[in-house]
Formats: sequence, C-alpha cells, structure tokens
Amino acid sequence: MKNEHNDNPPVMKFGMAIDLDKCTGCGACMVACMSENNIPFKEDESDKLVSITWMRIFKLSNGKSFPDTDICYLPRPCQHCEGHGGHSPCVSVCPATATDYSRETGIVSQIVTRCFGCRYCMGACPYHARYFNWWDPVWPDGMEKYLSPNVSPRMRGVVEKCSFCFHRYQLAKNKAYLDGERRVPEEAYQTACTQACPAGAIVFGDLNNPEHQVHQIVKPDPKHGGRSQNPRAFRLLERLGTNTKVYYLSSREWVRRSGDNYLEHEKTGQASQPHH
Amino acid sequence: MSTLDEKAKEGMDDHATHGSDGKQSGAGGFIILFFIIGFAASMVLGWVIFPKLLYSQKQQPFSFNHALHVEEVDDGCESCHFFREDGSFSGTPKLAQCTECHEEPMGDTEDEAIFVEQYVTMEREVPWLSYSRQPDCVFFSHAAHVIGAKMDCVVCHGHIGESEESRPYEYNRITTYSRDIWGHNIAGFAKNSWDRMKMDDCARCHKEAGVIHTSSVQTERDACFVCHK
Amino acid sequence: MKVDRRSFLSFVIGGAAGTALSPLPWKLMDDSSIWSQMWPWTPVPPDGEVVYEDSTCTLCPGGCGISVRKVDNRAVKIEGKQGHPINDGGICILGLSGLQMLYGPTRVKSPMKRIGERGDGQWQKISWDEAIAILTEKLIDIRDKGEAHTVAAIAGSDSGTVPALIQRFMTAYGSPNFMRTPSGRDADELAVNTLFGNQGRTGFDVENADYILSFGSGIVDGWGSPVRMFRASSLWKDKKTTVVQVEPRLSNSAAKATRWVPVNPGTEADLALGIAAVMVSRNMIDTGAVSGLSSWKSDLLANYATEKVSQTTGVAAEVIAELAKGFAGANRPLALCGRGKAQTAGSLRDIAAVYALNALAGNINQEGGMWPIPEADYIQWRDVATDNLASAGLSQPRIDGAGAGKYAQTRYLASRLADAVNGNGPYPLQVLLVASANPCHDLPDTQRVKEAFARIPFIVSFSSFHDETAAMADLLMPDHVYLERYEDVPVDAGLTQQMIGLSRPVVSPQFNTRHLGETLISAAKAMGEPMADAFPWDDYETCLEETLAEKWDTLMEDGVWVQADIDPVGDRLQLAGMDADAVQAEGDVNSFPLLLLPYDTIRLTSGYIGEAPFMIKTVADTVIKGNDGFVEVNPQTARAAGLGQGDMATLTTPRGEAQVRVHLFEGIQPGVLAMARGLGHTAYDAFLAGKGVNINTLIGPVEDPSSGHDAAWGIRATLSKA
Repeated sequence: MKNEHNDNPPVMKFGMAIDLDKCTGCGACMVACMSENNIPFKEDESDKLVSITWMRIFKLSNGKSFPDTDICYLPRPCQHCEGHGGHSPCVSVCPATATDYSRETGIVSQIVTRCFGCRYCMGACPYHARYFNWWDPVWPDGMEKYLSPNVSPRMRGVVEKCSFCFHRYQLAKNKAYLDGERRVPEEAYQTACTQACPAGAIVFGDLNNPEHQVHQIVKPDPKHGGRSQNPRAFRLLERLGTNTKVYYLSSREWVRRSGDNYLEHEKTGQASQPHH
Repeated sequence: MSTLDEKAKEGMDDHATHGSDGKQSGAGGFIILFFIIGFAASMVLGWVIFPKLLYSQKQQPFSFNHALHVEEVDDGCESCHFFREDGSFSGTPKLAQCTECHEEPMGDTEDEAIFVEQYVTMEREVPWLSYSRQPDCVFFSHAAHVIGAKMDCVVCHGHIGESEESRPYEYNRITTYSRDIWGHNIAGFAKNSWDRMKMDDCARCHKEAGVIHTSSVQTERDACFVCHK
Repeated sequence: MKVDRRSFLSFVIGGAAGTALSPLPWKLMDDSSIWSQMWPWTPVPPDGEVVYEDSTCTLCPGGCGISVRKVDNRAVKIEGKQGHPINDGGICILGLSGLQMLYGPTRVKSPMKRIGERGDGQWQKISWDEAIAILTEKLIDIRDKGEAHTVAAIAGSDSGTVPALIQRFMTAYGSPNFMRTPSGRDADELAVNTLFGNQGRTGFDVENADYILSFGSGIVDGWGSPVRMFRASSLWKDKKTTVVQVEPRLSNSAAKATRWVPVNPGTEADLALGIAAVMVSRNMIDTGAVSGLSSWKSDLLANYATEKVSQTTGVAAEVIAELAKGFAGANRPLALCGRGKAQTAGSLRDIAAVYALNALAGNINQEGGMWPIPEADYIQWRDVATDNLASAGLSQPRIDGAGAGKYAQTRYLASRLADAVNGNGPYPLQVLLVASANPCHDLPDTQRVKEAFARIPFIVSFSSFHDETAAMADLLMPDHVYLERYEDVPVDAGLTQQMIGLSRPVVSPQFNTRHLGETLISAAKAMGEPMADAFPWDDYETCLEETLAEKWDTLMEDGVWVQADIDPVGDRLQLAGMDADAVQAEGDVNSFPLLLLPYDTIRLTSGYIGEAPFMIKTVADTVIKGNDGFVEVNPQTARAAGLGQGDMATLTTPRGEAQVRVHLFEGIQPGVLAMARGLGHTAYDAFLAGKGVNINTLIGPVEDPSSGHDAAWGIRATLSKA
C-alpha cells in the first residue's frame, strides 16, 4: 500500500440492464458470445451441465395451466458480483488467484492460465455462470480459421466464464490512447451480446457514469447496495447480497418475483427478514 | 557453503576414526572427491548443458539489417512498426509494406536478393520469427506504453534498431516461447530493462515507475484483467 | 579405488547440491508449469490487422447487412451492419453462425461425381471441366431427342440474377419446369393477384402500425425479415402498441404479444372472418378500398356469426367482439398472417381473409398498413431466342401442374413434385437440377420425396454443403458460399420498400468451388448455339454489373439500394377467395385423435441451410436430448396417455411414425402436439446429423382447392408410450 501513488484510474462499474419485456429468447446473444470468445462446441451439447455457454438463456414460466400460461426468457451472463468491497462469491474462494475483482472496472476476471481447475468458484457461484472445461477444445478441420486472436482459447481442466468482453475494453483503451482520450467512450466499449441483440434488449455501460444509458435506466442506489430505483428492475437473488451488476427489467410481477426465492407471505422486492 | 562442507567433512572424519580398519581412514578423501565430482557434474549439467538442451535454434528466413533501414527511413522505428488507426500496434511489417520500397532490389546484398526473389515476386509473406512474442494469454498494449507512458522502444526491445544482422531465433523446447521472454541468462539475471520480459519484469517496471494500482481485490495490485486476456 | 556405498551416496548428495544450486530444477519447474498452462495443441489464433468488410447475408430471405471482422485474411466474426435500413447493427443467430458454414467440414470442396450407390456417399473428385462436360453432354443428348421438358430445376428463390440465370437456362434449353421451393410467398403472390388483380407482393408497415393482429405469424420466430421484426417488436414495446397473437400454442411471439388468443388449430381464417363480420355488422369499416362488399356481406354475416365462429375457433364470443372493437377502433391497425415463418404456402382462404380484414380496416396503402407493391424489376435482359427444340419443350405442360387447368394462377407447385415423379405426372423426369434448396429434407412427406428422387435418373446438386439432397445427387457442382461471392439480393420479406442488397466476397474461395452464375454461363457456352447465344456475358460479374446498371455504383458504395416511394399495384381489394372450405388436417379423427403442429423457432433454420454447431448448442434440452427429439404435450393430454416429462413415446401420423420424448408444456392446448421444424437431418456432420426428428417425415402436403398449394398446417396423430 505504501507504494500507492494514488493515481488509480477513474472508478467505473460496468454493468448491464436487460429488458425482459423486449428479450425474445432468440439466442443471438448466446451465439454472438460464442463467436466472439472462441467458445468450443462438442457433438452433443444437450447435457447442459457440461455445455459451455458464457451467456445462457433461461426460460421462465408462470406455472399456470393453459391458457393462462406465460413464459419469459432470461439471458444470464456472469453477473459480475461486487458483494461487499469486491468480495464476490467466486473471488473469495479462489485459491489460485485465478479469478479477481477489479475495483477499476467492476469486472470479475478469470485468468484461465492461472486456474488449476479446483472448481470451488463453480460451487460458490449462485448463478451457474461458470463452466469447467472437461475436454480439450477441438475445432473441426479448417474451422479454427475463424478463431479470434483477442481471446485466448482455453484448455482442458480450467474454469471459464463471461468477461463482459473485456478484450473489447482493452482494444477500446488502445484507441483512446491513440486519440488522446482519457476515458473510453460509451459506444466504444460494448459487449458482443449487447451489440448483436436484434431486439435491443441489452444496454451496457458504466453504472457509475450518469451520462451512460445503463445508469439512467438502472438508477443504482449506492446507499442500498446498488439496488435499482427503477420499479421495473430487479437483480437475481438480490437478497443474497451478491450485489450484482446485471439488472433485469420487467413490467410483469411474476417475472420479477422469479428473480429470487420469496416466501409465500413476502412481497416481491421485499428484503428478507433476518432471523433472530 | 564452505561451512557446510566442512561440517560434512568433519562428520565423515568423525565417523571414520571410529572405524576399526585403517584402510577406511583414506576413504574420507574419496568420499569428498565423489561429492565434488557429483557437485561439479551437476553444476556443469545445470549451467552449461541444460541451457543447450532446453533451447533450440532457428534461423530467420534471411538476415535483416535494422541499422541500414533506420538510416534510410524518416521516422525511426515508427516508419515500419506503427500504430494502426484502431490503436493496435502493427508489429512486424507485412509484405505489402516492404514492397512499397522493395518492388525491385534496392541494394546488392544477398539477403535482399532472397527477399525479392522468394517473397516479393512470389507474393509470399515472410515467416519472420518474433523474438519478443508474448504468450497467447497476454494482452500487451503498445499504446499504453508508447503513447500513454511515452516509453522508448529500447526499454523493452533493447538496441535491436542498431543490429546489422538477424541473430538466430532461440526458443524453449518445453514452452515453445522465444528465449527473449526468459532472457539469455539461464539463471534469469537481467542487467538491462530489456533482458527479460516475464510477468515479474512487467510488475517490477510498473513498481519503479510508480504505476502500481490497487484495483485487484485479490492482490491489492493491478488487476489481472489489465494484461491478460 | 572402490566405489562403495558411501562414495556413491556422497556422489549423489554432491549431485543434488549442485543441481539445487544450478538453474535446472527451477527453470524446469517454471517451464513445465507454463507448458501445462498452454498446451501446444491448444490453437493460438494468429494476430494481425483487423478490418471490417460489409456484405449482405443470404442465409435467409431477410436481407440483413453484415460487417465481417477479418484478421488479415481470416474472417473471425460476423456482426450486424450499423446503419443498415433493415437491421441497423442487429443480427440473428443464423447470421452470426455463418463462419461455421464457411469454414465448416460439411462444405463440398470440389466438383464430384458419384461412384457408389446413390446415397452411399462415395464420390470421386473431378475437375470443373469434366463436371461441365458431364452435365452438358447429358443435357445435349436429352435435348437432341426432343425431350428438353424432362429436365427440371428447383431453386430456393426466383428473384435476383442467379435464379434468373437458372430460369433463362431452362427457357433457352426448352423446359417449362423451373420450380421455387414452397413458402408463404406463393400464397401472398397469388392473393395479390387475386385480390388486387396484379402481380406483386405485400409489404407491411409494421413500424408505424399501432394495433397488430397477428394470425399465427411468428413475429419474433423468424417471420418476414427476422431482424426487422425483432426491432419492430421492441419498438412496439416502447410505443406501447397493442399486439394480439392468435395462435394455438404459446409461441415466443405469443409470449411477447400484449395478448395471446389461443385458437383451435387451423381456424385462424374463421376468426379473421368472424372479426370482419362483427366489424361489418356494427359498421366499423372503411369501405373506401373494398370492392364487392355488397354481394359478400350477407354471406359473411350468415356464415360467420359470432356464436358460430366462437364454436369453430374456441375463442369466446366476447373476445371476438373485443378484438373487432380494438382492431377497428385503432388508428393504424394491421393484421398479419402466415403461420410461424410462413414456410409452407398456406391456403388462399387463410390469406385472403386477413387481407380483407386489412382492407375493411382501411389500411391499404396507408401509413402503418398493408401495401401491395411490385417486385423490383431491374433484370432487363433481351428475350431468349428459342429454337424449335426449345419451343417444343416449352409447350409441354409443367410436371407439377402449375399454371394450367384449375391451377392456372399458380406459378410453382414443388410440393407436388414427388407425386408427379412417383407416377402421377404427365411424363417422367430425366434430370433434376437443385440450387439453394434441400427438398429431401424440407419438402413435406420426406419418404415420398426421397422415393421420387431415387426415380430421377440424373440429379445435379449445386449445394455448397453435403446436405440431404446432395446425398441423392449424381453430380456435385458446389457453389461458393455467400461470403465468397458477388450476388444481388433483392429483399421482399414484407418490406414496404423495394430493396436490393449486395453480397460480395469477404474472403477468397476456400475450396475448389465455383459461382453458380459462372457455372450456368460456362455450361450454356459449352452447349453451343442457341444456348450460348442466350448467355452473352463473359462471366457472372460482368452479367451482374451490366444488369444492375446505374444501381451498381450505389450497391458497391452503400451495399444496399432502396426505393421507398413505389406505386402500389392496386388500391382496392376485390373480395374473393374466402368462400372455399377450410383446409382440414389429414387423417381420420377416430384413429388419430390428436393434432400435430409444426412450430418454428429462430434458433433452428428454415430453408436449405442446415443448423451450424453454435445454433444447435443453444437449443434447449427439452427440444433435443442426445439424439432424441421432443414433442410438446399439454400435461393433461400426456397424463391421459400415461406419459410424463422426458418419457419415450411413439408418435404416429397417417404419413409416418417416430420415436420421440415428451415435453410437458402448459402453453399448448390439450389434444394438440407440437414439434420443432428444422431438425432430423441425416446429412451434414456429426454436430447436426441424427438429432431430433424431421417433422416433414410425419406430415404430408394437403392441397388448397383454390391453388394446389400445400396448405397443411398440421396432421392428425396419436401418441402412445413406447
């Protein structure tokens, strides 16, 4: 700490607002992510426990019978939990310093070359956002040509997850240096899923920056652990205190209620009562 | 080391004097000799033979005279190694850049003849072997260092701009990385800032330059997602 | 000197000490850990200069602009093109997967001729010269015998220069048998012709409508130009536009709608006419753009009284009234039709009922309304000079029966091809050319189609991929994929403008393939006069540039040419086509008490492109598990059959039988089953082949009495424990 020169860069908190009223469950975000991040595939991907999808779409149902049934899709990237002071569930348990929380960007990183595959983080993650490489990636002959140099392909035995396309931030920073700008402009750093979404359901940016659209939608309340002040917004398992940076928007009460495990008498969005 | 040796010797001598046979008293000398032989042999193995086994050599497609080129161009290193419009660094020039000048041989060196005949005419990219290629998991931003921190190329790349011929490319047989990453000294000693390019060297330089951030929750240093991808 | 035990130990200790003091163990440890972190067999994608190249996606009829990111000469990512009039940066799952097709293992890498039995997959690589020689010798031989009409071609589209070249080839050769694979376009073109009296197609101004009444159209399931529709759907959310989805199943489109109105399968037109009747009886209509109302009115009111319609459709009478009120009362109401992605033609009645509803609401050629408009007419080639052999061939009836007799207004009937070849046609086929189509997977009643293909002596596939139809072929003449070629892409897909996109090569051809336009031009030239005379261009690019004329520069610059103000082909709708009986599902209700419906999803492809591995990866484990396909069943229906979630069951229809797993879904009416379209491939690679069931093996075409088009919307079925 004594070496600190107090030139820490501006504190950003990259996050997302996903409008579930607009999300159609089309899967473009999943494939944009796979294509952007060199995610491998196998012959059989129907065992979803071992199918690597940094971005995964879940299908929610209101559980009512025909014709009162309703469904809603929920895209789930890594939620980039801040917890308290950056102690997100996975970062706290990693014995290899392979996963880390950056106070500069709010991004939970995963350095696959550092990971030795103990999978504690997978156990700790409440969102199943982490995936283990049970096999070496194999691309059919010729297909390795489309691999992007921006993201290092992973090997067997390591855990991987969504990085909020951090490499795009790195590249945008390069450009900012060249242009003599101190900060990366909002539009210069967007995740692959945000960019691809044909419904425009995902908004990405700096939650700390009032000029960013995501801040304006979410209106995070720093006094209450980043809770959104938008009545349509909720976070997944918010009451665990994971303090995630992915906010969901829905005008449907049952959808918002699906975001947490409420007891029958609890109201949606109500804080859980501590036990005495 | 010497005290240890002596202690060991004493111990052995001690033991020998308790022996009943006079012949064994001379064995102490042999034992030391064997120790020294073993010690010397392993030192030779570790310091001399091991590096030769560990590294393999390849020759560049042809020899490149940096000194000559630097003289001919206007902008120094940046004439050929420049920033692209998107802020990325171009690194080793592509054939198209070289042919801007070298459509025909400009001089009469044998190396240039090879270049023009085998690459320019055949429209083949030159398979240069990069001495300073970092592993795939590393994201190194030239922009941050050269534009942001206004560092000179020499700090990391040394005086390659003054070289008149290409030295052989050496690479580690186990990791396949260029020898320049670990540095030429097998023990990892570095005299100059450009002698090694491991992560510790990045960290050391950052510390010296006073750009240690505390963004990482795990390490209270720079977060991993600054230089890794 | 004797080396005793102590000396040896001393040597070892000395060695150990020396080793510890040398770099060897420490360096080895570091290196081996690095080695284990970066296995040499893990690919390291080479870095290089990043450039973006713009093109137009042709994987579906949507016409999106794409930006392909390249690193040196490798294409590494496809993104939506910012500012493009259709998709403005958005892109769909199929468009994103394009590189897996470009670089994928299922490409046909060179021209090949069959050497084993048909379907054995034994091929011999041949040169392009040899392939052209085989094709032209065969064709010349048949033509010289005066049997030019026994050669047929089937293609995925009939607009744009490449399909036009195929049609021109057929005309100059002397065959009337050019067919387009069936789709909702067939019924749309027929309806425009019947209702507005002119050739054309409809455009829907969805962005400006303020009340959408969709009769089963998969607005967010791939209907129309998919990305445009996704964007419209979000726009409607922002504008709080009312969207009503009439559909028997809770599709994604139904889930996104403001209101889902479950309807009995196949009765969408009845509901549309029921709503029309309410509007007419309560005088909530605009008669300005409707002809023939006075004579139709009494029929309509008599046949589509609310109570009766409620009975037929299963929609409550008050709901019908509400819908009529909402639709007629909106400022800019718009009704859409074509089930799912509109992959089958559908009946004239289904489509005419909905178009009539639009006309009664007064939205014809209005903002937010329906626009009958002409196709972009830019291909102005001089007429083919046909010789006697060609004229004789062209005077023969079409093998599919379209354009004559009771199907005089119908242009193509590819769904009848199998039947015609299997013995019910006017003559046997000798040669079939297949381009951008995969009839052996996509046409209903796949077994019959395959039987028919087995009867055709010579089949040529121009497919870029080893698909099901290529597997049945004798000669493979692979086309470049879209990322390797120039092509004009006229976009209709429900747009209210005329639009042409340009596909251009983003990478050089990866294999020994050839542009289909090029193949046709060189084949025609090789056949000598009079064929050569009809193809005066040196190569395809010349042909394209000449054809596009002044549009070429715009296309090269912007990638897209748009004509916004178009004169509609008509402004009054003549009420017609609605008196036909509703098309019923095939099968006896007693032996097959359930109904099986195909459903469309954007995560699976339509048309001739097989799903890329990335797409299959996104498919839920309630659609495919291992190789098993699922059928959606209401829990109540499943319970009655003793079936639970994931159980294996036998699904039987009058056309076939399949082993499927059961997925319990509350969003489907009891008594109705639904299965995804686009699965059950037998060709392609291990990432796709064998997964799920091809619903076309269970369903057969049902002819629309007015047009002959395939109007099947489902089939009767049974489901029992396996």
